[in-house]
Amino acid sequence: MLQYKNSKNFTANTQMKISPFFERTSKLNMSQEWKRWGGYLSATKYDLNHDNEYFAIRTKAGLLDISPLYKYRISGKDSSLFLNRLVTRDIKICKIGQVMYSTWCDENGKVIDDGTIQRLAENDFRLTSAEPNLSWLELNSYGMDIKIYDESNKIAALALQGPNSRDIINSISSKSINSLKFFEIIDTKLKDINVSISRTGYTGDLGYEIWINPDDSLKVWDILIEFGKNYGITPVGLDALDISRIEASLILLDVDYISSRNALIEDRKSSPFELGLGWTVKLNDESFIGSQALRIEKKNPSEWRFVGIEILWEDLEKLYKNVGLAPELPHGAWRDSVPLYNKKNQVGYASSGCWSPILKKYIALAHVNSKYSSLDTILDFEVKVEHFRYLTPAKIVKTPFYNPKRKISCPE
Amino acid sequence: MSRIDKYDVIIIGGGHNGLTAAAYLSKAGKKVLVLERRHVLGGAAVTEEVFPGFKFSVCSYVVSLLKANVIRELMLPRFGLEILPLESTFTPLDNDYLFRTSDYDQTYKEIYRHSPKDAENYMRFGPLMGQVGMAVRPILETIAPNAIRPSFNDLMSLKSIFNHVQGLNNETFEYLCKLMTMSSADFLDEWFEFEPLKATMSASGIIGTFMGPRSPGSAYVMLHHYMGDIDGSFRAWGFQRGGTGELSMTIARSAMYFGTKILTEAAVDKVIVKNGSAIGVALENGDEYKSDIVISGLDPKLTFLKMLDESDLPEDFVNDIKKFRIRGSSGKVNLALDGLPNFTSLPGNGPHLRGAISISPSYDHLEKAYDDAKYGNFSKEPYMDIILPSVIDPEMAPPGKHVMSCFVQYAPYNINGGWDDTKREAFGDAVINTLARFAPNIKDLILHRQVLTPKDLEKTFGLTEGNIFHGELTLQQLFSFRPAVKWADYTTPIKNYFQCGSGTHPGGGVTGSPGEMAAKKILKIW
Amino acid sequence: MVNNKYDYIVIGGGLNSLIAAALLAKKNNSVILFESNNTLGGMASTYEFSSGFRCNLVYDYIKWLDERVLKELNIKNNELEIINNDIYRISLDLEGKHIFFHRDNKKTIESISKISKSDADKWNDFTSFISKVSSFLKPLYKITPPNIQKIGLTDAISMKNLLNPILSHGTRGIADILRTLPMMMPELLDEWFESKLLRGTLAAGGIHHLNQGPYSAATVLNFLHQNIYSGTNILDAKFIKGGTNLLPSILIKKAKDYGVVIKNNSEVIKINCNNGKCDGVSLADGQLFFSKNIISGLDQENTCIKLLGNENLYPYVRTQLNNIKYRGSTARLHFALKNLPKIKGVNDDQLQTVFSISPSVNYLEKAYDEVKYGSFSSLPYIEFCISSLTNPSFAKNNNHIVSASIQYIPYTLKDNEWSDKLKKDIIKNVTGILDKYIINFSNNIIDSSLSIPLDFESTLNNTEGSFNHGEMTLDQFLFMRPTIASSQYKTHIKNLFICSPSTHPGGGLHGANAINMINEITK
Repeated sequence: MLQYKNSKNFTANTQMKISPFFERTSKLNMSQEWKRWGGYLSATKYDLNHDNEYFAIRTKAGLLDISPLYKYRISGKDSSLFLNRLVTRDIKICKIGQVMYSTWCDENGKVIDDGTIQRLAENDFRLTSAEPNLSWLELNSYGMDIKIYDESNKIAALALQGPNSRDIINSISSKSINSLKFFEIIDTKLKDINVSISRTGYTGDLGYEIWINPDDSLKVWDILIEFGKNYGITPVGLDALDISRIEASLILLDVDYISSRNALIEDRKSSPFELGLGWTVKLNDESFIGSQALRIEKKNPSEWRFVGIEILWEDLEKLYKNVGLAPELPHGAWRDSVPLYNKKNQVGYASSGCWSPILKKYIALAHVNSKYSSLDTILDFEVKVEHFRYLTPAKIVKTPFYNPKRKISCPE
Repeated sequence: MSRIDKYDVIIIGGGHNGLTAAAYLSKAGKKVLVLERRHVLGGAAVTEEVFPGFKFSVCSYVVSLLKANVIRELMLPRFGLEILPLESTFTPLDNDYLFRTSDYDQTYKEIYRHSPKDAENYMRFGPLMGQVGMAVRPILETIAPNAIRPSFNDLMSLKSIFNHVQGLNNETFEYLCKLMTMSSADFLDEWFEFEPLKATMSASGIIGTFMGPRSPGSAYVMLHHYMGDIDGSFRAWGFQRGGTGELSMTIARSAMYFGTKILTEAAVDKVIVKNGSAIGVALENGDEYKSDIVISGLDPKLTFLKMLDESDLPEDFVNDIKKFRIRGSSGKVNLALDGLPNFTSLPGNGPHLRGAISISPSYDHLEKAYDDAKYGNFSKEPYMDIILPSVIDPEMAPPGKHVMSCFVQYAPYNINGGWDDTKREAFGDAVINTLARFAPNIKDLILHRQVLTPKDLEKTFGLTEGNIFHGELTLQQLFSFRPAVKWADYTTPIKNYFQCGSGTHPGGGVTGSPGEMAAKKILKIW
Repeated sequence: MVNNKYDYIVIGGGLNSLIAAALLAKKNNSVILFESNNTLGGMASTYEFSSGFRCNLVYDYIKWLDERVLKELNIKNNELEIINNDIYRISLDLEGKHIFFHRDNKKTIESISKISKSDADKWNDFTSFISKVSSFLKPLYKITPPNIQKIGLTDAISMKNLLNPILSHGTRGIADILRTLPMMMPELLDEWFESKLLRGTLAAGGIHHLNQGPYSAATVLNFLHQNIYSGTNILDAKFIKGGTNLLPSILIKKAKDYGVVIKNNSEVIKINCNNGKCDGVSLADGQLFFSKNIISGLDQENTCIKLLGNENLYPYVRTQLNNIKYRGSTARLHFALKNLPKIKGVNDDQLQTVFSISPSVNYLEKAYDEVKYGSFSSLPYIEFCISSLTNPSFAKNNNHIVSASIQYIPYTLKDNEWSDKLKKDIIKNVTGILDKYIINFSNNIIDSSLSIPLDFESTLNNTEGSFNHGEMTLDQFLFMRPTIASSQYKTHIKNLFICSPSTHPGGGLHGANAINMINEITK
């Protein structure tokens, strides 16, 4: 374990919003690197580089402050009717104590945002999202018997992700979470503190998200750190998360797609089908916002697909060898779009990518023309080697790139 | 003894548009003479040391709309253009405040405090207005066609505008139509709910006009103010180092660099017309200057009704110019302060003093101010747009002291009983009292005050009725109708006599655009 | 078995709905029309406001009627007779120096010259200027507004009629109309007149049924809208012999003759849709009716938000619909009187006319100022008629009624709720004002009844009590009426059409909306 012994007297000052965990995170952040997330300062990495944090997620347990997520509480008689009209999935089949991931679209079937919906009671839901959605929710609640409450500031949240996460929670929880299935949520106590725990996350690994009253947030942090010590619990920043989510092929708003509410031009908008989220679109008899357009799109598929690509190692190595260098790999995840070609014609672009430290592969998420989107298709990926641009082959592969069994399995 | 000199072009008025036209024409190799009535250049954009040690941008006080291509083409940075950003807008309220900065997250957080929904919509509003601004710019940069008897070129430019509009997406087109026709209050009501936010945003729809935020047409003025760009960032307001007059000087220096000759204290009395063609000007002191072309940077009333004899002009044109509405609605109060104002709602020094301070707590505040003016009085509790230039640029005031510039609405030109010294002081008092409601210490800080009524603005700057835009920005006075139908392309019924003031398309503000476009039009037909 | 399948279902029994139904039936379509009230006619209907006294609900007179209605429905002159009273409007003055507007402009000028020589001199020029400008607007009123953004060849061809006025007046007229439309009334008036009373009276034409004061831009547009067929009789008001409600009764008869099935007391509660197309309606009593096309004479709020329901309403469309400004501003106050009222300075044989209390532009603007701050006008603009003179059946035994339109009475108040007490205050206040003009008025009153916009919303179902189904402002005009995406009598539902005054060319008992819509959908 690293000792953060010199940081006791440090408190950061900022005009940004302050997460309830900032008291702790600000003192732990040895790199002093922060990113903005929903108006909060969020640690980019706590160590001077993110490697240790990444491996904590994949081999031990990583602890991440996810309080900046937007959280909306939706309750009232018509709440399931409302959500069913709002999101592309069928919310009626969501049981109490279950969580669903879904996208929601505008009337033209273009994605506005994606997030999770927790069903806390028959008529009580919590919707989480990456961007503020209050005005959209209210616009569509006209004439319905529901209450929408923005509880973004009222709920603190931590993600505990990694193979040891279950053991850590079991060691302090009043209830065992052994039987908590993937995408389920329960109320429990960590030591004496009431929290909700959902088996969700943004890493594609075994992991949990803990929903906490902000007043208890520091206590929960401290308990987790104390009892997690022996399991290798490590505070992780956004850099490590970004690599994990690319390995898990989870899309990121404003990186892999743009909300249709903010797109300004048509070409920037994407449908769920174009984002590889066709599975979230349930076209049954009932209509939801965008269903008409999506029904048409399903019959006449659009020309874009969202795929995973692997940049082929030998060819990349060769390009570097030609200039007398060993391959220089991106250290973290990148987010600038990179063109993809088929015989010199651009047929798509990768929107984010990274070197996967666990797979030892150079991977990326990409938008490509559907003609070139079948598995094993080879496209040309643009790289810069010593200031010059080259094309190097990349293969379309199955996603998620990394998908351990433990993500969804439960102990005997 | 009268002097006779011959120039290619004589420009009447050394305001920023006249100077811009001069610079462009000189740059094209013409021999240009600018004649300015006052001892300083810049027209309404001047800096003067009104009280010893205290420098004021006496009239026009911020720069936001100056076109980037004018800056580039006239090489203004080389001649001293330095625009310091105004980074925030601060609206003091009785028990609270609204504070917006150029930072997305900070502004979101601030607005969220008052209305979560508004915070969200505000973030969508800016980029959308950017789209609308982009949609309007080609229209503003087209020489307004003759609506009655369009020439081939007019038809071509109409067609290209038409094509441009067809290319807009539905949303942009809808907002464009709405902004052209609605009141700023109605337009903003579609977006926001927190009234101080709406009122402050709507205030840019009433600046320089005789309208309230609920008057249809004010949305367009709001858009006009949204067009400002500095370094391409939308609606970035700025302050010229050394005051707005320094901006005029940079244009003047550029013009002189290209060869323009500038004479101050040279008041033009008349344009000399011979056989329906302008051949020069006669000064009040009897001097005469001859030129091939005469351009007026004055407002339409002075350009035509004073500089020419009515008998030289067609009757319906004279009628149109007489009908052209130039109503002064604003005044200016310049204060020399012993220290910084302390706002009750946000005490102390801070970033809120480095930007614009807007006294616009509600629509009703603005509407009531307008009502007073509508019935011929100055506003008892006026709307104000305030900046403290010395906070951004310390050279504007002696060390430790400050200058404050308050743009005030409404002060009608045609006040009941006419303006006199008593009314001027009462107007000044109303401004101070309104300010003291939010910053009570202001009264103890005032070392000197200068109160400018529209009457004063007219007298000092030659602005008819003290209107800062040379004519109201109402729908019927825009584009092909500015200042009169058939003569909106900078030409006039008098051959070789042109206009380049803010009374021409695309209108007022320190844009340089009428000057630039007039010069380009003249060079094209010369 | 009841036939429940029709080619067209028409919702609402107002003027435009009746015209649309009749015209469709005339073209051999099977048409059924549903009206939720017992009586048809909507804003042209009458009601008994006090025992033995009836009145026109909204309109005592018409400004203009689209001549195509008469032609296409074959309505003869003897069926619908317009009373050509010599004096069509009297603008009242406290001192008795009234302005009399005569059909013969010479007499009008004579009347004006008593208060201002200069104004009298300009009257002829002014009236011909206005009629010239409105002649440019007239052809525009007869077409479906083009989709200005995506204008194509077919649109352009349909607009060729627009050129006719250019041929007769030249292009300067276009410039005039473009310059004039966005003006505020005082701006236009500054160019012509000096007398306060004349200015006030003309300005009143610009604020008619509007929730804006004369100092608002584009009030001239509203003024022209009222006067589009007035010719040189500016501020014209035409009485229909037998009363305004004769108009709907003729239309009902025509519709029935052509075979329209008319169902009153039948409230439509839902327009049924499937996959972006509507296929019928549900009635309050549970009956279902089916059709290929549905036409609504209701406003957008009622048609698209209430009847279509959430599941058929897209968020973007909803946002646009929510942004329509309705803002009812006019109340109607009816007085039951013992005797024919006498008005100072007006002869008894001049009483069958419209009286206007609009002493000055500022009087009207101040009336609006109060509304701006959330109250109602304490000194309102009042326009009244002794409608029992036109329609003797309104009152018996030599009794009479006076109906007044009062502006501004807003739909909502800022710090107050509408109550009977407030309504009584208004009645008392208006009575007091009328007392100054009508001799012995208070003592002549048997009963009175006030309907405020809130009342009209519940009785006539027009949102916010707006008679125009949406304000007549520049941003809700032509291709922006009612919204920019639905200005062609269409909605986002493919086979649902709207012919209410919410569409181009706006409100009034003229029927142009219905005729234009029929031309559009049968194209």
